[in-house]
Amino acid sequence: MSDSATFLAVFGDFEPASKGVDKLHELGVSDDQLNVISGIPVKAAILGRPSAITYVSRIALFGALLGMSLGIFLIYGIPYLYPLLVGGQPIFPVPQGIIITFEMTMLGLMGFAFIGMFVDSGFPSYTPKEYVPEISDGKIVVLFSCPSEEQNKFIDALKNAGAETVVPAEARHL
Amino acid sequence: MATYARPLAQPQPHAEEHEDPREHLMHDPRPRGEMNAMIMESMHVTSWKFWMVTGILTLIVITCVGYAWYYMIMQGLGVAGVNRPVFWGIFLVNVVFWIGISHAGTFISAILRVLKVESRRPFTRAAELMTTFGLVQAGFSVFMHMGRVWLSYWLFPIPNERRIWPDFHSPLMWDFMAITTYLLCSTMYLFLPLIPDLAMARDRTEGGWRKTFYSILSLGFRGTEGEWKNLTTAMNIFAFAIIPVMFSVHTIVSWDFAMAQRPGWSSTVFGPYFVIGALHSGMAAVAIVLFLLRSTMKNYKYFIRPEHFDTMGRLMLMVSMAWAYFYFNDYLVPWYGGGKWEKLIQEFTEKGPLAPLWYTMLICNIAVPWLILWNKNWRRTPWLLAITGLLINVGMWLERYIIIPEGLTINRMPFTWRLYVPHVEIALTIGLFALFMLLYMLASRLIPLVPVWEVQEGQEAHIIRKIGKAEVSTLSDLE
Repeated sequence: MSDSATFLAVFGDFEPASKGVDKLHELGVSDDQLNVISGIPVKAAILGRPSAITYVSRIALFGALLGMSLGIFLIYGIPYLYPLLVGGQPIFPVPQGIIITFEMTMLGLMGFAFIGMFVDSGFPSYTPKEYVPEISDGKIVVLFSCPSEEQNKFIDALKNAGAETVVPAEARHL
Repeated sequence: MATYARPLAQPQPHAEEHEDPREHLMHDPRPRGEMNAMIMESMHVTSWKFWMVTGILTLIVITCVGYAWYYMIMQGLGVAGVNRPVFWGIFLVNVVFWIGISHAGTFISAILRVLKVESRRPFTRAAELMTTFGLVQAGFSVFMHMGRVWLSYWLFPIPNERRIWPDFHSPLMWDFMAITTYLLCSTMYLFLPLIPDLAMARDRTEGGWRKTFYSILSLGFRGTEGEWKNLTTAMNIFAFAIIPVMFSVHTIVSWDFAMAQRPGWSSTVFGPYFVIGALHSGMAAVAIVLFLLRSTMKNYKYFIRPEHFDTMGRLMLMVSMAWAYFYFNDYLVPWYGGGKWEKLIQEFTEKGPLAPLWYTMLICNIAVPWLILWNKNWRRTPWLLAITGLLINVGMWLERYIIIPEGLTINRMPFTWRLYVPHVEIALTIGLFALFMLLYMLASRLIPLVPVWEVQEGQEAHIIRKIGKAEVSTLSDLE
């Protein structure tokens, strides 16, 4: 089995980056062997890439259900343990229950969307990573792996597609 | 006939048609690196004037919040003007006012994001920051109002041995839940779109505590497809979900009053009326903040332009009209009903010793915005919009004053009627305003107040297209 090398191809715009991704596909690099890093979110279709999968919505939904359960416990569980009669109202009031349950559901939804973003993205992560600071200056970087013995062919193909530079990817502390 | 031969319009097109689309930020793109450098420079370049103002504000905060609060704690709540029948004074006015201010951040950011209003891009963060800092002020005001602040944990839903159990029948309890939810969620919502800008700041900072600060807070963000997907999904969830929470918060604040069987307070329209009032003061506060940022922060004239003041001006006018509609509703029904106590309160408000406050409120909240904001050129004049915003906020603060302490003055027991005269509350109020400004100024040194990546995203999506003889702005859907 041949060794593989990882490279960062830096593009100045979407068009050449899209061509670069096409070239890599032609050279046999599958979508799971490359990643696009950019300073703004780029629709997957622009670069001809499959849409990234996210679990944030599902985690948020779980959070909403958890929040709702907590809300129901607060409004019905606590008065069950410590009944309090106020103003002739029932001990387990439904209208007030709607308010508390709503707030807790929304807190759960958004709290878990936030946590989900962390979990799904692997944040926080302070280990060295393949990165160049030019990305936050608007460059689009295609990170890919290829067989070491064929690396020149890949580099030439990407430069022909419009890559400004193609450099070996080095993990660095961000 | 000559009448028919006359052209229907002047041969010169209206000045509005001559507007150059390149005046808009979205059509005046600069390289991302240059925009990053501009924002970083605005954070790093600090004049002696900045530190002088910071010093003065710190002094005011120490004196008016630190010392005055210490004095009130040591002497007891008696040193404040609150006494029978007015137990809710300026502290509660400030709670409602600051929660109102905090609504603008969510409204600007979330609703404009959901509706894809492009002009929102450069100033969403400045508005979001107002939410967090506004809620901090509201929280301080609640604690001040408590008097025995060290017992504030009694508010938490923890049963205790003194049988002071959390009472979910009480609107104050709902308030605690709603404001806590809103504070937590709006802080998370502020942080999410900040991550890419913190990563940008990390990349452009060489060593020192700032590098460590940005490296930690940017969480290792690089901008991979997965990271962007997760981030934008979370932001979309927040944008949709935080809107009903925002509405719920001020509705619940209004229920603190409306649920009481008091003349003048017990009104079914209080919920939407309070929400629209919150937006009224919040929008106006955003206009002031935008003016201050544009005037004082280096390079911000590029990002914050007359078009953004125009957007704010339109929103302020619309909200002012909505506020007037709800106020009239709230005014007319008790007036028409002619109930004894409601009539007394209305007469006291309009003809009593505090009547000038009522007239000032109406002028500031209705007359001023309606006279100024209909004119496009005036809307696009930053200082004029800031002054309008300032007057609206004066009006909205007075509105809360009229509802709370003035509303409590007249009740069903005439022998208790008494005018409320604030004492230590005045110092504490001044201190809270100073604290808000101080927090904002310090934040402006630490975090990029313009979301550069969102600006670049918008600029990538906009192109100028020629249709016939006109150049028009066209937006492509990149999101």
